[in-house]
This record gives sequence, structure tokens and C-alpha cells, in this order.
Amino acid sequence: MDIHEKLKILSGAAKYDVSCSSSGSTRKNTPSGIGNASESGICHSFAADGRCISLLKILLTNYCVYDCVYCVNRSSNDVPRAAFTPEEVADLTINFYKRNYIEGLFLSSAVFKNANYTMELLLKTVTLLRNNYNFNGYIHIKAIPGADSNLIRKAGELVDRMSVNIELPSKESLKLLAPQKNSDLILKPMSYIDSQITANKEEKSLYKKAPSFVPAGQSTQLIIGATKDSDYKIMKLSENLYNNFNLKRVYYSAYVPVNNNPKLPSIINPPMLREHRLYQADWLLRFYGFSASELLNEKNPNLDVNFDPKTDWAIKNIYQFPVEINSAPRNMLLRVPGVGVRSVQKIMAARKVHLLNFEDLKKLGIVLKRAQYFITCKGKYYGDIVFKEDFIKKRLSPKVDLNYIDNPKFEQITFFTKDSFTSITGEL
Amino acid sequence: MICYVFDGTFEGLLTSIYEAYYSKIKPEEITPDWQFQPSLLKVPITIETDIEKSSKVYNAIKTKISAAALKNVYYAFLSDIDGSSTMIYSYVKLGFQLGKEIDLHLYNDSVLNIHKIIRKVTNETHRMIGFVRFKCINNIYYSPIEPDHNILGLMAPHFASRLKNENWIIHDLKRGLALFYNKKEWAITSFSKENGEEFFYSEDSGPYEELWKDFFKSIAIENRLNPKLQRRMMPSRYWKHLTEI
Repeated sequence: MDIHEKLKILSGAAKYDVSCSSSGSTRKNTPSGIGNASESGICHSFAADGRCISLLKILLTNYCVYDCVYCVNRSSNDVPRAAFTPEEVADLTINFYKRNYIEGLFLSSAVFKNANYTMELLLKTVTLLRNNYNFNGYIHIKAIPGADSNLIRKAGELVDRMSVNIELPSKESLKLLAPQKNSDLILKPMSYIDSQITANKEEKSLYKKAPSFVPAGQSTQLIIGATKDSDYKIMKLSENLYNNFNLKRVYYSAYVPVNNNPKLPSIINPPMLREHRLYQADWLLRFYGFSASELLNEKNPNLDVNFDPKTDWAIKNIYQFPVEINSAPRNMLLRVPGVGVRSVQKIMAARKVHLLNFEDLKKLGIVLKRAQYFITCKGKYYGDIVFKEDFIKKRLSPKVDLNYIDNPKFEQITFFTKDSFTSITGEL
Repeated sequence: MICYVFDGTFEGLLTSIYEAYYSKIKPEEITPDWQFQPSLLKVPITIETDIEKSSKVYNAIKTKISAAALKNVYYAFLSDIDGSSTMIYSYVKLGFQLGKEIDLHLYNDSVLNIHKIIRKVTNETHRMIGFVRFKCINNIYYSPIEPDHNILGLMAPHFASRLKNENWIIHDLKRGLALFYNKKEWAITSFSKENGEEFFYSEDSGPYEELWKDFFKSIAIENRLNPKLQRRMMPSRYWKHLTEI
């Protein structure tokens, strides 16, 4: 099979992995080497689905021993199969990199023969890149669940990021859709990688020259909407992963129906708005000081797709508002709907030298569409409606029920065009 | 209305600020010669670039305002945006009054304008570092670009450390400038579109351009097509020099 054909098959098979990040690593170039990592990450292109292309995202092979119901590469599927050699992957990576197409390599794989054999192939590829080609660009590889921890450690010493995809957010869901896997098999390498990262940090504080272990941290991915798991369950899981395994990112991937199976839900559109709301909630956990149980609970287990989660929280906790822009502490400013981390920075800087009024906020570029109902400037409330929960909620409600987007059956509204849909989902 | 016209160099801009500071009749506008648009109301005064005067202003900004302010001035200068020189003048004037706190005064139009421009310049630099597409011609990596702002110098350190063992050229076709790197050091010199034609019309020898196009197509999820988002993240004015689109 020629290399063009292989690349088409093995990048097409890798595309459902949403991780694209190339950030978080500060790997430097070496005197005779090629490449380095950019700490903030660099997007090199944007695909037709609007997602950033940063890394050469491919599978080493899509020959798989597993038969996970949701997966396009499941062994019982009749799809074209291919396998790269480590040399082919290294050659593609280097030549794409030199032309500035990519930041590096994201190498994943289906499980070929068994976990150890697959992990060895991945390790061989990254060893070739790092040691023979002196490649110092970004490398993200998958840790194959069930692979020997010795192999995972060796790979971790060479790469920038490692990930193990949880995919299904609960044991029950795993049992239903991926009966050959279990949660221990997945969590074991994650916890092992975390312990190695922690140990490496200590080592580095003692010896500066100690080699890095997975310097950009680990990430994982959860599929949204292939199972009945609630948003609360998902956010709780993410919170645990951030707090206990020090994950850098949890990615959420709206389930795209690639297989037909009675165990899978029949859906018309991938639940992209739900995915978007989960990302927003995830951001609230990581950058805004929220906890999962503030946003959701057993009684309210799902995010309201009609409001962003911060607005939803603020309306439910209206007694904590309005806050005075000129005196509110940072952590409270962060909780104002419509006000992001960058806006908070600007407000904190400007109010050191100036008492801010409402016009000043506009100049600072603060989006006041939502914020106006939750703040005062010099004691004055500027909302275009009285400060009362129901009124504000009504004002902030979208014109049409957005539940329609993910579930066209929910309520058919003909004037709801595809354009308004993309403007809501926005940038992920 | 007095309008200072300088030669388009950074030193020329700083000299203009020096002259404005010491002259009795203050200019209302400062502009590089290539952006100057004569009108009945304008009285142009040509400013001769003077290294001594410009370095005085350079040092005054650095010590009396801040190193960050100096960087802001330089980035705003690189923007090539119409009116940016006048905005820089007003920012520096205010800076001499407010000192190092100037960048906290974000509600002030003089500060705000400069910060907006800087964001455009840094954003484009970051974007362009991703959007450069080299083709390999006899072991020289050549990339044409047409950025809004004059960012070659801001991109140089990135590529010099990343591709330090290659020869490469990034060619700003719009400004007739090119950034050259010879495995040791980089330099920016004037290099017209015509001078670059030999590179521009040469083909990359390997199969990698085709492979990259294949990859670009197959990595998109067809159930999630979102051309609007794609264009927002990668504005179509940049597409001309992108291999894949």
C-alpha cells in the first residue's frame, strides 16, 4: 500500500481523538537537532470542521483486537486497515515539521496483537525521532492500557504529553459498550504516569539536568452522548481527574455515530451544544475556582443548554450579586457572567489608578451583555431591567429553545438556520 | 495643521517625537512618508532622522516610562496601521506625565489605542508563526507571506531556534522584505517580489505537499463541518500562501 493511502486511512481513523494541544512543554532545541516546543502551543491550520491542526495526528495502525461498540476501528467493522512502520512516521513528521505544517506528532494506535506489542511499536517510533533524527518538537503519544509500566516509563521520558482515553464516563457504560476493557485497566496507567510526573518534578528540583518526564502533562478524552451518563457524573469525574491525577486537560467529544448497534443511541446530530457547555463548565473548574457540585447536583444533573453554566449558576445564586466592580475581590469578579480571566486582569489593573464607571468598562472591552445584570459601578446598577432573578433570567434566555440543536425532534422550529447554530457553538 | 513626515524608520519616528517635544508649535499628526496623504489643511514638515535625537527619546521612554512602554512603542510602529505614529506620539506624551503606571490606564484612549494595535501585531505574529509554509527548493526552505503588519523581525527568533540547522527564507511580498537565515544568523533585507520569483515559482521536490493536503482533508470530521469557524480562526486573506487550502 502506498504512503498516500496509508496516511488517508490512518489519519481518518485518528480524527475522533479531539486533543490537538501542543502547549505546556518548554523543550529546547539541541545543537545538532531540529525543533523545539512552544509553551503556548501553535495552531498551524484549521480543518473544515473548524478544529485546529497542530500535530500530525495519526494512528500507527488501525488493526485492532478490541471490539468496542462505539469505535470506528472495532475489529468487527469492515473498514480498510493499514499500518505505518516507525520509519514512515518519523519521515513524515520530520518533513512536515521542516515545512512548518505541524508542531509535532500525536501518535496513537489501535491495539495490534496485544498491548505490549503496540506500546513497543510506539516507543520504537518516538525513540527513532528523538535519538536518530534529533527531533525536539512536540510529541504526544497514547499510553496503551494494559502495557507494561516499564514501556510506559521509557516512552514518558521521550515525549511531551501522554494520554489514556477513558472514553466512557462510568463502569456501567464501559461494560455495555467496551466489555473487553474495564476502568482499572484504564486508570492504572494514568495513576502510574501521574506518580512518575510527580517523582520527576522532585528529581528536577534536586538536579536541574534530570531528564523530563511527560513535561506537558497527561490528558484524556470522554465521549459525550453515547451513554446515559449525566453531566454531573462527567464533571465529577473530570474534577477528580484534575485533583487526583493532576491532568492537564480533559477533552469532551460529542458522540458521532460511526457504527450502528442496538446498544448505541440513535441520534441525528452529534450533541455539540452539550459538548460546548461541558467545555465551559470544565473551564469554570480549572480557571474560575468553581467546583462541580456548585454547578450541578443529583437533583439538577444536567447543564441547561440555554445558558452558559456561569450565567446559570449566577441566576440561581442571585443573592451573591450585584458585585461592585471597583472593590470586588478577584475570585468574585471571576464569577460574574460574561467576564473572563482577561477582563478580570484588565479591571484589576485599571482600578488601581482609576475609579471605573460603566463607560470605562465598555472601553476596556468587557462584554456587558450579560455582566450588566450582575455588577454595580460606583454603587450604581446599570442593567436594562430591574435587579430581580426572574426578570434577568427572562432577559438572558435565548429567543428559541436551544435544546432543538442537539435534538431536532425536541421542538421543530423552521427558522432555526444552520448559521445561528454555528454562532452559538463558537470556538472550542 | 502641522504634520511631521519622517522617513519610515523607527529612528525617524523617535526623532519626530524629539522635535515635537522641543518645538513651540506642536504637530497634530506624525506620519511616515509612505503613508502621508497631502491635503489643503495639512502643512507637512519633513523630519530628518537624527540618531542622537532618536536615541535620547529611546532612552527617555525606557527610563522615564518603562521598558514595557518602549516595547509597546516598537510593536505599534511595526503595525504599519494608518495613524499609528500619531497614536504613538500621544501615548509617549502621556507616558512622560504618568510614568511607569501608564499601562494601567486602560480606560484612557491614548493607552487603549496603543494596546489595541499591539494586540493586532502580537496576534498576527503568533498566527503567522503557524501559517508559514516552507517549500524545500535545493535544500533551501522558502515561504512567501503577506502579513498585515511588519512582523518579520518578530518571527525571526522563533524560526532561528527551531530550524537552526537549515537555510530558510521568509519573504514578505507585500513589503518587499525578506528574512534570511544561513544556519548561523538571521537578517532582514529588502528583497522584491521579482527577486523572489525564482523561489516563488519553483516546486517542492518531495511528495510532502500532496501528503499534507491528503492529511488536511481526512482529518476533518464530516459530521461537524463548520466553515464559519474555520474562517474565523484562519482568515481567508491568509489562504493564498497556504499549501493545503
